[in-house]
Amino acid sequence: MREIIIIFLLLSGSLFSLVAAIGLLRLPDILTRMHAATKAGVLGTGLILLSHAVYFSDLAITLRVLATITFLWLTAPIAAHLIGRAAYCSRVRLSENTWIDQFGHACGWGEAGQEEADTGEIDPDSR
Amino acid sequence: MGSQTALLNIVIQISLVMLLISIFLAAVRLLWGPDPADRIVAMDLISFLIIAFITVYSLYSGIDAFLDVAIAYALIAFLGTVALARFRERLARKIGRNQSNGKDSP
Amino acid sequence: MTNLFLVNLFLAVGFSAVVGQLNLGGLLVGFAIGYLALWITRSPREETGYFKRVPRIVNLFVYFIWQLIVSNFRVLWDVVTPGHRSRPGIIGVPLDAETDLEILLVANLISLTPGTLSIDVSDDRKILYVHVMFLENVASEQADIKQGLERRVLEVLR
Repeated sequence: MREIIIIFLLLSGSLFSLVAAIGLLRLPDILTRMHAATKAGVLGTGLILLSHAVYFSDLAITLRVLATITFLWLTAPIAAHLIGRAAYCSRVRLSENTWIDQFGHACGWGEAGQEEADTGEIDPDSR
Repeated sequence: MGSQTALLNIVIQISLVMLLISIFLAAVRLLWGPDPADRIVAMDLISFLIIAFITVYSLYSGIDAFLDVAIAYALIAFLGTVALARFRERLARKIGRNQSNGKDSP
Repeated sequence: MTNLFLVNLFLAVGFSAVVGQLNLGGLLVGFAIGYLALWITRSPREETGYFKRVPRIVNLFVYFIWQLIVSNFRVLWDVVTPGHRSRPGIIGVPLDAETDLEILLVANLISLTPGTLSIDVSDDRKILYVHVMFLENVASEQADIKQGLERRVLEVLR
Protein backbone atom coordinates (compact mmCIF):
# COMPACT_ATOMS: atom_id res chain seq x y z
CA MET A 1 0.00 0.00 0.00
CA ARG A 2 2.76 2.41 0.95
CA GLU A 3 4.63 1.47 -2.19
CA ILE A 4 1.61 2.33 -4.35
CA ILE A 5 1.42 5.77 -2.75
CA ILE A 6 5.15 6.33 -3.31
CA ILE A 7 4.88 5.26 -6.96
CA PHE A 8 1.86 7.51 -7.53
CA LEU A 9 3.56 10.52 -5.92
CA LEU A 10 6.81 9.99 -7.83
CA LEU A 11 5.16 9.53 -11.23
CA SER A 12 2.73 12.46 -10.88
CA GLY A 13 5.47 14.68 -9.49
CA SER A 14 7.85 14.03 -12.35
CA LEU A 15 4.97 14.33 -14.84
CA PHE A 16 4.13 17.83 -13.55
CA SER A 17 7.83 18.75 -13.63
CA LEU A 18 7.96 17.65 -17.26
CA VAL A 19 4.82 19.68 -18.01
CA ALA A 20 6.42 22.73 -16.41
CA ALA A 21 9.50 22.36 -18.60
CA ILE A 22 7.50 21.79 -21.79
CA GLY A 23 5.28 24.74 -20.92
CA LEU A 24 8.31 26.92 -20.37
CA LEU A 25 9.43 26.00 -23.87
CA ARG A 26 6.09 26.14 -25.68
CA LEU A 27 3.89 28.89 -24.23
CA PRO A 28 3.73 32.19 -26.14
CA ASP A 29 4.99 34.93 -23.80
CA ILE A 30 6.84 35.32 -20.53
CA LEU A 31 3.83 35.79 -18.28
CA THR A 32 2.09 32.63 -19.52
CA ARG A 33 5.40 30.77 -19.28
CA MET A 34 5.58 31.81 -15.66
CA HIS A 35 2.15 30.30 -15.07
CA ALA A 36 3.51 26.91 -16.12
CA ALA A 37 6.89 27.24 -14.41
CA THR A 38 5.59 28.47 -11.05
CA LYS A 39 2.52 26.31 -10.57
CA ALA A 40 3.59 23.04 -12.14
CA GLY A 41 7.11 23.40 -10.76
CA VAL A 42 5.88 23.93 -7.21
CA LEU A 43 3.33 21.11 -7.42
CA GLY A 44 5.79 18.64 -9.00
CA THR A 45 8.56 19.37 -6.51
CA GLY A 46 6.08 19.23 -3.61
CA LEU A 47 4.75 15.82 -4.67
CA ILE A 48 8.27 14.41 -5.00
CA LEU A 49 9.25 15.77 -1.57
CA LEU A 50 6.10 14.14 -0.14
CA SER A 51 7.10 10.80 -1.68
CA HIS A 52 10.40 11.13 0.20
CA ALA A 53 8.50 11.58 3.48
CA VAL A 54 6.32 8.53 2.78
CA TYR A 55 9.32 6.41 1.80
CA PHE A 56 11.32 7.00 4.97
CA SER A 57 8.22 7.52 7.24
CA ASP A 58 10.21 9.08 10.05
CA LEU A 59 9.13 12.06 12.14
CA ALA A 60 12.29 14.12 11.71
CA ILE A 61 12.34 13.64 7.93
CA THR A 62 8.59 14.30 7.63
CA LEU A 63 8.92 17.57 9.52
CA ARG A 64 11.86 18.65 7.37
CA VAL A 65 9.93 17.78 4.21
CA LEU A 66 6.90 19.76 5.38
CA ALA A 67 9.12 22.74 6.26
CA THR A 68 10.69 22.62 2.80
CA ILE A 69 7.31 22.44 1.06
CA THR A 70 6.02 25.37 3.12
CA PHE A 71 9.14 27.35 2.26
CA LEU A 72 8.69 26.62 -1.45
CA TRP A 73 5.01 27.60 -1.33
CA LEU A 74 5.87 30.88 0.37
CA THR A 75 8.83 31.84 -1.81
CA ALA A 76 7.83 30.68 -5.31
CA PRO A 77 4.99 33.26 -5.69
CA ILE A 78 7.28 36.00 -4.39
CA ALA A 79 9.93 35.13 -6.95
CA ALA A 80 7.24 34.97 -9.64
CA HIS A 81 5.90 38.37 -8.60
CA LEU A 82 9.38 39.93 -8.80
CA ILE A 83 10.16 38.38 -12.18
CA GLY A 84 6.73 39.29 -13.55
CA ARG A 85 7.03 42.93 -12.52
CA ALA A 86 10.58 43.12 -13.86
CA ALA A 87 9.44 41.65 -17.18
CA TYR A 88 6.41 43.92 -17.37
CA CYS A 89 8.44 47.01 -16.53
CA SER A 90 11.02 46.19 -19.19
CA ARG A 91 8.16 46.13 -21.71
CA VAL A 92 8.55 42.58 -22.88
CA ARG A 93 6.29 41.94 -25.87
CA LEU A 94 3.20 40.10 -24.68
CA SER A 95 1.34 37.45 -26.64
CA GLU A 96 -1.06 38.88 -29.22
CA ASN A 97 -3.89 36.98 -27.55
CA THR A 98 -3.59 39.38 -24.61
CA TRP A 99 -6.75 41.42 -24.92
CA ILE A 100 -6.92 43.55 -21.81
CA ASP A 101 -4.33 45.29 -19.65
CA GLN A 102 -5.58 47.22 -16.67
CA PHE A 103 -2.12 47.44 -15.10
CA GLY A 104 -0.83 49.86 -17.67
CA HIS A 105 1.17 52.11 -15.38
CA ALA A 106 4.68 52.78 -16.45
CA CYS A 107 6.71 51.68 -13.41
CA GLY A 108 7.89 55.24 -12.83
CA TRP A 109 8.97 55.72 -16.40
CA GLY A 110 6.84 58.59 -17.55
CA GLU A 111 5.22 58.28 -20.93
CA ALA A 112 8.26 58.37 -23.18
CA GLY A 113 9.71 55.35 -24.86
CA GLN A 114 6.38 53.69 -25.49
CA GLU A 115 7.59 51.92 -28.62
CA GLU A 116 10.92 50.11 -28.45
CA ALA A 117 11.87 50.88 -24.90
CA ASP A 118 14.53 48.29 -24.33
CA THR A 119 18.11 47.77 -25.30
CA GLY A 120 17.03 46.14 -28.54
CA GLU A 121 17.85 42.64 -27.31
CA ILE A 122 14.22 41.67 -27.66
CA ASP A 123 13.67 39.98 -30.96
CA PRO A 124 10.37 41.30 -32.39
CA ASP A 125 9.46 37.91 -33.82
CA SER A 126 9.89 36.02 -30.59
CA ARG A 127 6.66 35.36 -28.83
CA MET B 1 16.60 0.75 3.31
CA GLY B 2 17.43 -2.11 1.01
CA SER B 3 13.86 -3.40 1.04
CA GLN B 4 12.65 -1.70 -2.09
CA THR B 5 11.09 -3.92 -4.68
CA ALA B 6 12.01 -4.13 -8.33
CA LEU B 7 8.92 -2.15 -9.38
CA LEU B 8 9.70 0.77 -7.08
CA ASN B 9 13.29 0.75 -8.26
CA ILE B 10 12.17 0.98 -11.90
CA VAL B 11 9.76 3.82 -11.09
CA ILE B 12 12.51 5.73 -9.29
CA GLN B 13 14.76 5.39 -12.32
CA ILE B 14 11.96 6.46 -14.68
CA SER B 15 11.32 9.60 -12.68
CA LEU B 16 15.05 10.38 -12.55
CA VAL B 17 15.09 10.21 -16.36
CA MET B 18 11.94 12.38 -16.64
CA LEU B 19 13.48 15.00 -14.37
CA LEU B 20 16.69 14.98 -16.41
CA ILE B 21 14.68 15.56 -19.61
CA SER B 22 12.84 18.43 -17.89
CA ILE B 23 16.12 20.03 -16.83
CA PHE B 24 17.37 19.73 -20.39
CA LEU B 25 14.21 21.38 -21.81
CA ALA B 26 14.43 24.21 -19.29
CA ALA B 27 18.11 24.65 -20.19
CA VAL B 28 17.05 25.15 -23.83
CA ARG B 29 14.88 28.07 -22.71
CA LEU B 30 17.76 29.32 -20.55
CA LEU B 31 20.03 29.47 -23.57
CA TRP B 32 17.36 30.70 -25.99
CA GLY B 33 16.17 33.68 -24.01
CA PRO B 34 15.14 35.98 -25.65
CA ASP B 35 14.67 38.38 -22.74
CA PRO B 36 16.80 38.21 -19.57
CA ALA B 37 13.56 37.70 -17.64
CA ASP B 38 12.93 34.48 -19.60
CA ARG B 39 16.34 33.25 -18.52
CA ILE B 40 15.57 34.07 -14.89
CA VAL B 41 12.31 32.07 -15.08
CA ALA B 42 14.25 29.17 -16.60
CA MET B 43 16.87 29.37 -13.82
CA ASP B 44 14.10 29.36 -11.23
CA LEU B 45 12.46 26.27 -12.73
CA ILE B 46 15.84 24.51 -13.07
CA SER B 47 16.51 25.04 -9.37
CA PHE B 48 13.11 23.52 -8.54
CA LEU B 49 13.88 20.57 -10.79
CA ILE B 50 17.32 20.09 -9.20
CA ILE B 51 15.68 20.03 -5.76
CA ALA B 52 13.31 17.33 -7.02
CA PHE B 53 16.19 15.43 -8.64
CA ILE B 54 18.25 15.43 -5.42
CA THR B 55 15.20 14.18 -3.51
CA VAL B 56 14.58 11.30 -5.94
CA TYR B 57 18.29 10.50 -5.91
CA SER B 58 18.06 10.25 -2.13
CA LEU B 59 15.41 7.54 -2.61
CA TYR B 60 17.57 5.86 -5.26
CA SER B 61 20.62 5.67 -3.02
CA GLY B 62 18.72 5.13 0.23
CA ILE B 63 20.69 7.86 1.99
CA ASP B 64 18.28 10.29 3.63
CA ALA B 65 21.00 12.92 4.26
CA PHE B 66 20.60 14.07 0.65
CA LEU B 67 17.36 15.76 1.73
CA ASP B 68 19.42 18.31 3.66
CA VAL B 69 21.28 19.12 0.47
CA ALA B 70 17.93 19.76 -1.24
CA ILE B 71 16.80 22.04 1.61
CA ALA B 72 20.01 24.08 1.53
CA TYR B 73 19.72 24.37 -2.26
CA ALA B 74 16.11 25.59 -1.97
CA LEU B 75 17.18 28.34 0.44
CA ILE B 76 20.04 29.53 -1.76
CA ALA B 77 18.14 29.30 -5.07
CA PHE B 78 15.41 31.65 -3.85
CA LEU B 79 17.99 34.31 -2.95
CA GLY B 80 19.60 33.98 -6.36
CA THR B 81 16.27 34.38 -8.17
CA VAL B 82 15.32 37.45 -6.14
CA ALA B 83 18.71 39.06 -6.75
CA LEU B 84 18.51 38.45 -10.51
CA ALA B 85 14.92 39.73 -10.77
CA ARG B 86 15.75 42.92 -8.91
CA PHE B 87 18.79 43.41 -11.10
CA ARG B 88 16.61 43.08 -14.22
CA GLU B 89 14.06 45.56 -12.89
CA ARG B 90 16.70 48.12 -11.95
CA LEU B 91 18.22 47.81 -15.41
CA ALA B 92 14.80 48.43 -16.97
CA ARG B 93 14.17 51.48 -14.78
CA LYS B 94 17.60 52.89 -15.61
CA ILE B 95 17.03 52.55 -19.34
CA GLY B 96 13.57 54.05 -18.95
CA ARG B 97 14.88 57.03 -17.01
CA ASN B 98 17.51 57.71 -19.64
CA GLN B 99 14.89 57.61 -22.39
CA SER B 100 12.37 59.87 -20.68
CA ASN B 101 15.08 62.33 -19.73
CA GLY B 102 13.72 65.76 -18.83
CA LYS B 103 10.22 64.44 -18.29
CA ASP B 104 8.74 63.63 -14.92
CA SER B 105 11.25 61.44 -13.13
CA PRO B 106 10.33 59.84 -9.80
CA MET C 1 -6.99 30.99 21.54
CA THR C 2 -3.22 30.38 21.53
CA ASN C 3 -3.57 28.45 24.77
CA LEU C 4 -6.14 26.11 23.31
CA PHE C 5 -3.93 25.57 20.28
CA LEU C 6 -0.96 24.70 22.51
CA VAL C 7 -3.08 22.28 24.52
CA ASN C 8 -4.30 20.71 21.31
CA LEU C 9 -0.74 20.34 20.02
CA PHE C 10 0.33 18.80 23.32
CA LEU C 11 -2.55 16.31 23.10
CA ALA C 12 -1.49 15.41 19.57
CA VAL C 13 2.13 14.75 20.57
CA GLY C 14 1.00 12.83 23.64
CA PHE C 15 -1.39 10.69 21.63
CA SER C 16 1.15 9.79 18.98
CA ALA C 17 3.80 9.02 21.63
CA VAL C 18 1.43 6.75 23.58
CA VAL C 19 0.26 4.91 20.48
CA GLY C 20 3.91 4.57 19.43
CA GLN C 21 3.51 6.12 15.99
CA LEU C 22 5.64 9.21 16.20
CA ASN C 23 5.10 10.22 12.57
CA LEU C 24 2.85 12.53 10.62
CA GLY C 25 -0.13 10.18 10.51
CA GLY C 26 -0.06 9.68 14.28
CA LEU C 27 0.23 13.41 14.87
CA LEU C 28 -2.71 14.21 12.56
CA VAL C 29 -4.96 11.59 14.16
CA GLY C 30 -3.90 12.82 17.61
CA PHE C 31 -4.66 16.41 16.65
CA ALA C 32 -8.12 15.48 15.37
CA ILE C 33 -8.97 13.47 18.49
CA GLY C 34 -7.58 16.20 20.75
CA TYR C 35 -9.62 18.81 18.92
CA LEU C 36 -12.75 16.73 19.39
CA ALA C 37 -12.02 16.30 23.10
CA LEU C 38 -11.44 20.03 23.56
CA TRP C 39 -14.63 20.78 21.64
CA ILE C 40 -16.68 18.47 23.87
CA THR C 41 -15.21 19.92 27.06
CA ARG C 42 -15.42 23.58 25.97
CA SER C 43 -16.96 26.01 28.41
CA PRO C 44 -20.36 27.29 27.24
CA ARG C 45 -19.89 30.78 28.68
CA GLU C 46 -16.44 31.71 27.43
CA GLU C 47 -16.62 32.31 23.71
CA THR C 48 -13.28 31.54 22.05
CA GLY C 49 -12.58 31.96 18.37
CA TYR C 50 -10.59 28.75 18.22
CA PHE C 51 -13.47 26.45 17.39
CA LYS C 52 -14.68 28.76 14.67
CA ARG C 53 -11.24 29.29 13.23
CA VAL C 54 -10.00 25.73 12.77
CA PRO C 55 -12.81 24.66 10.39
CA ARG C 56 -12.12 27.81 8.36
CA ILE C 57 -8.41 26.96 8.12
CA VAL C 58 -9.31 23.45 7.00
CA ASN C 59 -11.79 24.94 4.52
CA LEU C 60 -9.14 27.28 3.07
CA PHE C 61 -6.57 24.47 2.90
CA VAL C 62 -8.88 22.01 1.12
CA TYR C 63 -10.11 24.72 -1.27
CA PHE C 64 -6.52 25.72 -2.01
CA ILE C 65 -5.29 22.17 -2.69
CA TRP C 66 -8.30 21.53 -4.93
CA GLN C 67 -7.69 24.74 -6.89
CA LEU C 68 -3.98 23.92 -7.19
CA ILE C 69 -4.74 20.54 -8.78
CA VAL C 70 -7.43 21.94 -11.11
CA SER C 71 -5.17 24.79 -12.23
CA ASN C 72 -2.34 22.42 -13.00
CA PHE C 73 -4.54 20.24 -15.17
CA ARG C 74 -5.75 23.31 -17.08
CA VAL C 75 -2.19 24.48 -17.72
CA LEU C 76 -1.22 20.90 -18.59
CA TRP C 77 -4.03 20.72 -21.15
CA ASP C 78 -2.98 23.95 -22.84
CA VAL C 79 0.66 22.88 -22.86
CA VAL C 80 0.16 19.39 -24.24
CA THR C 81 -2.42 20.07 -26.96
CA PRO C 82 -1.24 21.86 -30.10
CA GLY C 83 -2.14 25.53 -30.55
CA HIS C 84 -2.82 28.07 -27.85
CA ARG C 85 -6.36 28.58 -26.63
CA SER C 86 -5.29 30.86 -23.83
CA ARG C 87 -6.71 34.39 -23.82
CA PRO C 88 -4.48 36.14 -21.31
CA GLY C 89 -5.05 39.58 -19.83
CA ILE C 90 -4.08 41.70 -16.86
CA ILE C 91 -6.90 42.84 -14.60
CA GLY C 92 -6.99 44.91 -11.44
CA VAL C 93 -8.79 43.40 -8.45
CA PRO C 94 -9.86 45.79 -5.69
CA LEU C 95 -8.52 44.54 -2.36
CA ASP C 96 -10.38 44.25 0.93
CA ALA C 97 -7.23 42.97 2.62
CA GLU C 98 -5.41 45.70 4.48
CA THR C 99 -2.46 44.52 6.55
CA ASP C 100 0.81 43.23 5.12
CA LEU C 101 0.08 39.65 6.12
CA GLU C 102 -3.37 39.64 4.53
CA ILE C 103 -2.10 41.05 1.25
CA LEU C 104 0.86 38.66 1.23
CA LEU C 105 -1.35 35.63 1.78
CA VAL C 106 -3.95 36.67 -0.81
CA ALA C 107 -1.28 37.45 -3.42
CA ASN C 108 0.62 34.23 -2.76
CA LEU C 109 -2.45 32.02 -2.96
CA ILE C 110 -3.61 33.80 -6.13
CA SER C 111 -0.24 33.05 -7.71
CA LEU C 112 -0.64 29.36 -6.98
CA THR C 113 -4.25 28.93 -8.14
CA PRO C 114 -5.92 28.50 -11.53
CA GLY C 115 -4.47 30.53 -14.33
CA THR C 116 -3.86 33.57 -12.14
CA LEU C 117 -0.54 35.20 -11.27
CA SER C 118 -0.31 38.30 -9.12
CA ILE C 119 2.03 40.86 -10.67
CA ASP C 120 1.91 43.97 -8.51
CA VAL C 121 0.03 45.87 -5.83
CA SER C 122 -0.79 49.52 -6.53
CA ASP C 123 1.04 52.10 -4.45
CA ASP C 124 -1.97 52.88 -2.26
CA ARG C 125 -2.43 49.11 -1.59
CA LYS C 126 -6.01 49.14 -2.88
CA ILE C 127 -5.67 47.22 -6.14
CA LEU C 128 -3.96 43.93 -6.88
CA TYR C 129 -2.95 43.45 -10.51
CA VAL C 130 -3.42 39.88 -11.64
CA HIS C 131 -2.41 38.20 -14.89
CA VAL C 132 -5.11 35.73 -15.90
CA MET C 133 -4.38 33.02 -18.44
CA PHE C 134 -7.92 32.03 -19.48
CA LEU C 135 -9.81 35.31 -19.19
CA GLU C 136 -13.35 35.43 -20.55
CA ASN C 137 -15.10 38.06 -18.50
CA VAL C 138 -13.36 40.66 -16.36
CA ALA C 139 -16.20 41.20 -13.87
CA SER C 140 -16.84 37.51 -13.25
CA GLU C 141 -13.12 36.81 -12.84
CA GLN C 142 -12.82 39.63 -10.29
CA ALA C 143 -15.85 38.28 -8.42
CA ASP C 144 -14.34 34.78 -8.54
CA ILE C 145 -11.11 35.90 -6.89
CA LYS C 146 -12.89 38.03 -4.30
CA GLN C 147 -15.52 35.47 -3.37
CA GLY C 148 -13.39 32.36 -3.67
CA LEU C 149 -10.00 33.16 -2.25
CA GLU C 150 -9.98 36.54 -0.56
CA ARG C 151 -13.13 35.87 1.45
CA ARG C 152 -11.71 32.59 2.79
CA VAL C 153 -8.34 34.15 3.66
CA LEU C 154 -9.98 37.03 5.50
CA GLU C 155 -12.27 34.63 7.38
CA VAL C 156 -9.20 32.85 8.68
CA LEU C 157 -7.24 35.97 9.59
CA ARG C 158 -9.98 38.13 11.10
